[in-house]
Amino acid sequence: MAYEQRQSPVITWWDNLRRYRWHLGSVAWILHRITGLALLGYLFVHIWTLRALVEGEAAFQAKMEPFTTPFFKFAEWLLFAFVLFHALNGIRIVLVDFSAQGAYRHKFLLRLVYGLGVAMMLFMAVLIFFDPFAV
Amino acid sequence: MRSGRWSSYAWYWQRISGILLVVFTIGHYMTVHWTEAAGHSFASSVERLQNPLFQFWYLGFVVLGFYHGVQGLYNILRDFKLPRWLLAGIVGLVGAAALYFVYLGFDTVLSVHTWKHLP
Repeated sequence: MAYEQRQSPVITWWDNLRRYRWHLGSVAWILHRITGLALLGYLFVHIWTLRALVEGEAAFQAKMEPFTTPFFKFAEWLLFAFVLFHALNGIRIVLVDFSAQGAYRHKFLLRLVYGLGVAMMLFMAVLIFFDPFAV
Repeated sequence: MRSGRWSSYAWYWQRISGILLVVFTIGHYMTVHWTEAAGHSFASSVERLQNPLFQFWYLGFVVLGFYHGVQGLYNILRDFKLPRWLLAGIVGLVGAAALYFVYLGFDTVLSVHTWKHLP
């Protein structure tokens, strides 16, 4: 197929979106970036929250209190989804890049990422919403 | 050092730091988030952070996390043909913020003995 010369050398982000091939693999590529940026943002928030430890127990508890509400529990579950996807997909990238077999089995690995991800999400839902191991 | 050489190191270390971060994250979820009380109570946090092993563990991963994050941000932005000053500006700003938060993390953990929990 002939390569179409573009009029403008500037490729806009919606141009990119239109040109993506929406396969599971490219979705994983995009999700890896989105989750990565979100996790970088969260790292800032996380250290900021733990800073309250210095102020003593009362201040820390006050800062942690909102996190016990159903909304934040759901948000933490979502956060786990981000961490989980980024970690599993990251392992897949490392295996594909570093191991001889990884590149040949990348489709199997990708299914593993999504499958294992959903399973672990369900397990985490039990931990978060039912707290079965509480003493 | 030529820039081509540099980015292949960055590519390599992005993967190495990623593996280490996965190891940390598993440990983190197992120790801190297995039950709600473990992660959200002041007493258990103080106990953990007074342990030198945990201090080393956490501070190492604060550094790794920000390194991996800022390097990842740079990798993403490089795919968009941003003007040089804008790319340098964004990465510089986020990088500087990351350095400050690494300092903040170190200060929080290493000042544990001066926290107001002590009788």
